[in-house]
Formats: sequence, structure tokens, C-alpha cells
Amino acid sequence: MPDDPTNSQPPTGEPASPAAVRREFLRHVAWAGGLAGIGGLAGVAIKQLMASAGSNTKTARPPLGAEFTYDVSRFQASDPALLRYEEIARFPVGLARARNLAVAPDSAIFVCGTGGIRKFSAKGAPILAIPLDMPVYSIAIRPSGEIFAGQAGKIARFDASGVAAGVWSDLPEGLLPTSIALTMDAVFVADAGNRVVLKLDAAGKKTGVIGARDPARNISGFVVPSPYFCVRMGRDGLLRVTNPGEHRIEAYTMDGDLETFWGTASFNVAGFCGCCNPVSFDIFPDGGFVTCEKGLPRVKLYNSAGEFTGLVAGPEAFPEYVKAANAGTPDSLGSGIYAAIDPAGRVLVLDVVGGTVRIMQRKEQNHG
Amino acid sequence: MADPSSHLSRRDLLRSGLRGAGLLSIGAATGFLSGREAKADSVWQINPDLCIQCGRCATECVLEVSAVKCTHSFGMCGYCKLCTGYFAPEPVNLDEGAENQLCPTGALKREFIEDPYYEYSIIRELCVGCGKCVKGCNMFGNGSLYLQVGHDRCLNCNICSISTACPAQAFVRVPADKPYLLRGKGKTPGK
Repeated sequence: MPDDPTNSQPPTGEPASPAAVRREFLRHVAWAGGLAGIGGLAGVAIKQLMASAGSNTKTARPPLGAEFTYDVSRFQASDPALLRYEEIARFPVGLARARNLAVAPDSAIFVCGTGGIRKFSAKGAPILAIPLDMPVYSIAIRPSGEIFAGQAGKIARFDASGVAAGVWSDLPEGLLPTSIALTMDAVFVADAGNRVVLKLDAAGKKTGVIGARDPARNISGFVVPSPYFCVRMGRDGLLRVTNPGEHRIEAYTMDGDLETFWGTASFNVAGFCGCCNPVSFDIFPDGGFVTCEKGLPRVKLYNSAGEFTGLVAGPEAFPEYVKAANAGTPDSLGSGIYAAIDPAGRVLVLDVVGGTVRIMQRKEQNHG
Repeated sequence: MADPSSHLSRRDLLRSGLRGAGLLSIGAATGFLSGREAKADSVWQINPDLCIQCGRCATECVLEVSAVKCTHSFGMCGYCKLCTGYFAPEPVNLDEGAENQLCPTGALKREFIEDPYYEYSIIRELCVGCGKCVKGCNMFGNGSLYLQVGHDRCLNCNICSISTACPAQAFVRVPADKPYLLRGKGKTPGK
């Protein structure tokens, strides 16, 4: 036997002992394992180097030029000379997300949205809260105080004290009631889901459809790319409806005949810009209009012929809207503005982003 | 004097060397392939709800023309006559004239469907991923245009150079078998 136990070479002419064979085998296995392990590590390292090589080989490029920048800043400031109103107060609405507002004949202010319905005095003091699980997209109030609330697929009714008075749910599939207008014996529902205005009787039964595409009647149909679709009853007996994709407000008889329309597509202050403006409006007793726009947040005034007459508030009055829009965050999506005119002629503006109602009063009126 | 039988013969040396080289090669191949296998489990993608259309996707990609492309969710799109992702602010006319288009590379195509609807689609070969149209759509529309990493082009670098430059941390790893974060009833990019 050799003196060195690590020498596994068997002496010449002598058969290897089992212990020596085992040692030899283990030595080879250890060598093989070690080499394979080193090889494996080298393989992983090569892979990593190859993968990261991309970021190392990047050549420096200059920032994009102005032609690659979306810039509407010149439209985000308005001429102060056009401002006809000023804010005299604002109050929080206390809803997770406000979606619409209405003014009752007694000047009470109703706001609806995610969380239900809130009623406030003309000065903004809370009066009533109707908590609801489903979001309320629209609201209208009868002189009797009866409340109509538009929810996905249905119209819920409440009495003046907020007690549930029934639900109309036998309505077209896909109903998304984004606005409600009332007459003595009819309820008109702007259905953004089906892009028509539904005419309902006092029992909630559908008696007509207004605005469905009908070339024979010269009706091109409502273009409603996003859930902003508004209907109001004019004192002249004509129903006014936004056609946001066409950037206009259309006038229909209660039988659905298109009588007239006004509005032009433009980023300039007198027009309506974007895919879906105006998002909402209301009508003054003299037939004039207050309109609201998203994208470029503007609350504007038009006379009864649809001619631009001034601003209630320009984009600078809604810095949070502008900030979100410029940042390109999804917060800019779905941030509409809603307006309602109260019996005193004040314009109540629902700031969805801020969760407040702003009370706007004519400047000359405010200054005596 | 050392026992001559304890010395390696030339043949043994060659045999051992070849065996070692073979084992090293097998190990390296295994390591390389296992690394590739593990990496293919996930890929880079843009979370459209975090993207702020800063323009860096167009300049930071290691590719000469970025792997990031505009994507269109046809299910969300309003098929607007006046698309703010297609038209420059205050266009001269609402038609396909180059002077009216927002995209500096002309990568959006507008096709008449029926009055008053138009379909907009992306010409991926021309899109550089700047996000200008996305910003226009987000600001005034409903967000149906958005940016996505095109996996027909992406090299899936370990350290994506756009992700390191993205100020909104919108670059995320997603499972390789679901490589897109589509909005609405989105179609596969480029289809």
C-alpha cells in the first residue's frame, strides 16, 4: 500500500482495493460536479451580460421636439373681460363622487352621485341625505318636491322627505340615465347607454323615443362617446338636448321632431371642443343657456339664438382639472362639470374634482 | 524518485481535459438555458392607468425606433368625427389633410364608417411611441388611445432603459402569457 493515502494509483500488478476504487470514483464525481457548476455559473453570467448589453449600448438621444408635445396652453387661459359672473360662495357636497345637480323650484339644491342624494338650502346648508348603494347619475325635482333619481337601469323616486316612492325599472336594456327633465305629465330621460332620449308618462311607461337616427326625419342621431348627455325643457315648449359628438344643442318637439340646433366645434371660447362637449347645460328664463365643458373646463353663456355672450368661469377657475389634464393622468377622464340655474338667476356649478358646489352670481348684480 | 506509474500519461491528460471541457460546456449550456427559461416568465409592459405620456418612451428605448407603440381600444372609442387624438388643436378642417393631423409622423389613420362616425387605427410602422395622441385623447376623449410595449419588437432587456427613465413608474413586469394591459374591450396592438 502506498504511504500517501491520497494517492489512489494502485500499485502495479496489484488489484485496486474497494476503498481505493470508491475514493477514485468520488474524486471524479467531485471534479465533474465542480466543473459543471462553474460552467453553469458562467452560462448564467453570459446570459446576464447579453441581456444587460442592450442598456449599455443605448446611444444618447435628445428629448423630443416641440412638434411631439401636446400643447393647448393657449386655450387654458381666458380673457377676464369675458367673465360675467363671480363666485360668492362654495360648499362641500359630502359625496364620494358627485355626478350631477338640480335646483328645486323652492331654490333647494340637490346633488347626486356615488353615495346617494344630498339636499341643501340655497345657501348650502345641509337639509337631507338619502344614502343609496348604487351611484345616482341624474336628478330632477317636481314642484311638489318629488325626487327623480337616475341610476343604471332604473329611475328611483322619492317623496319630498326622502322616503322611497317606487322604482321604474321596466326600461330599455343598457339604460344609463345621465339627465332627467320634467313636464307636468311627462318625464324625459337622456339615456347615454342607448344614445336616445326616452319619453315616459307619469307612471314610468315608455311612450316615445327622441333622437334615434332617422334620415327621413333629418335626424342624424346623438353621438355620445362618453357618459355626458343632457336634456332640459325649455319654456318655449321645446326639449333641448346635447349632441356632444356634434358639439351642439338640439331642439326637439315633444313628439321628437328636430326643430333647430346650434353650436360649433372649436377650441376657441365661442365653440365646443373635444370629443364630447358640452357635457351639460341649463336654460335661463329668457331662453339663454349656460353650458359646461370638460377637457378645457369652461362654463359659458349663450343667448337664446346660441350666440356666445360671455363666461361664468374659465379654465383658470378649475386649476385641479387643468392640472390633471396636463399631467395626462386618468384623473382627467370622467371629470365633468355640471351647472344649474336657480330661481334667483345664480348659476350653481358642480365641481366634481373638488367635490363642491360653487355659487356664481352676475358681477353687476353682486355689485349693486 | 517518483513512481513513474503515478504520472499522468499524455492520453490520460487529453482524456481528462476533454471530459472537463465537455462537463463545462454542459454546465454552461444548462445555466444559459435555465436563465432564459426563468426570464421568459415575465415581460415589460406599461400600466396605462399610470402613464403620463411624458415622451420618454420614444427616446429612451434601446431600439432606434421604440418598441412602445400607441394602442387603440376600439371597444371604448367613440368613433368621433372630431378626434382629439387625431386632430391638432383647432384644425383648419376636419379632414385628413396633413396640416390638420396631430401626429408628427402620420401614424394615425382615419377612415369614414358612416355619418358621423370615423374609425381610427394605428400604423405601427410609423408610430414612435411619443404619446402625443394619447394625451389628446385622455384630455378630451375617453382614453381609448394608450401606450403599450409591442412584444413583436421588445428585446425584454433585464434592465429596461425606459423603465428606469419613466417618471410615473408606469413600467411593470407582467406574465409573459398575458403580455398586454389592455383597456376596455381592447384589440391586440396592430390588429
